[in-house]
Amino acid sequence: MSDALVRYLDLASTQMKLTASNIANADTPGYRTQGFSFEEQMRQAMSGSASGAFSPEVQDVDGLVARTDGNNVSLEREGLEMAKSQLTFRTGVDLLRHEYSRMTDAIKSDGK
Amino acid sequence: MNLFGVMDISASALQAERVRAEVTASNMANAETTRTAEGGPYRRQQVVFQTQGQETNFGSSLMAHLGSNTIGGVEIAGVQDDAKAPVMRFDPGHPDANANGYVAYPDIDPLTEMVDLMSAQRSYGMNASAVQAEKNMITSSLDILK
Repeated sequence: MSDALVRYLDLASTQMKLTASNIANADTPGYRTQGFSFEEQMRQAMSGSASGAFSPEVQDVDGLVARTDGNNVSLEREGLEMAKSQLTFRTGVDLLRHEYSRMTDAIKSDGK
Repeated sequence: MNLFGVMDISASALQAERVRAEVTASNMANAETTRTAEGGPYRRQQVVFQTQGQETNFGSSLMAHLGSNTIGGVEIAGVQDDAKAPVMRFDPGHPDANANGYVAYPDIDPLTEMVDLMSAQRSYGMNASAVQAEKNMITSSLDILK
């Protein structure tokens, strides 16, 4: 369970990093919005047996309107993504804390 | 994934946007400047942004081949002079007037500069809130230890 949560947190922080990068490059000519599908990558991370470092497949995001300088960063989309990955991260942290407190409870359950 | 690295990305953007605001301010301040150290009127400056890590040293090339260099901040590729010709205004009394009484002024449009300044300000604000979000995430991950 905590292994899955670590992957989940990893993905959430990668998404935050991508969003930060997209916002940082909002005025860079020719920059294309980078992203990945959270659900898809989470499914892959869970089905793969390989443990250790996991890096999601990052690709250009389709369906965004490019400006004349070739940049297609939408600040509305990025703002939303930022809020989403923040909440996702928070969820993961809370679940992990809950997991740990359950373990501590189990250790303490000898009545002491 | 290192969350502090995410803050570096936003920090690079804050710095770049601040330089952009400074250059815009300098353009507006020098809108009527007819004398510069290089001679002639002031030339409008323009900041060019590029994605961070575009230099072709060994490290970044290797990282690019390993496919892990897709996430980066922003940096300033350079501050360039605008190639536009100066505006000639008739002002025979001016010390820098030429033989025909015309003075070369920089071609600076306050509207363009203001739009640029507002855009830099908005981007700065957006990146500042990204830093705030990252701080919250780091703080919340520290809560795991509690």
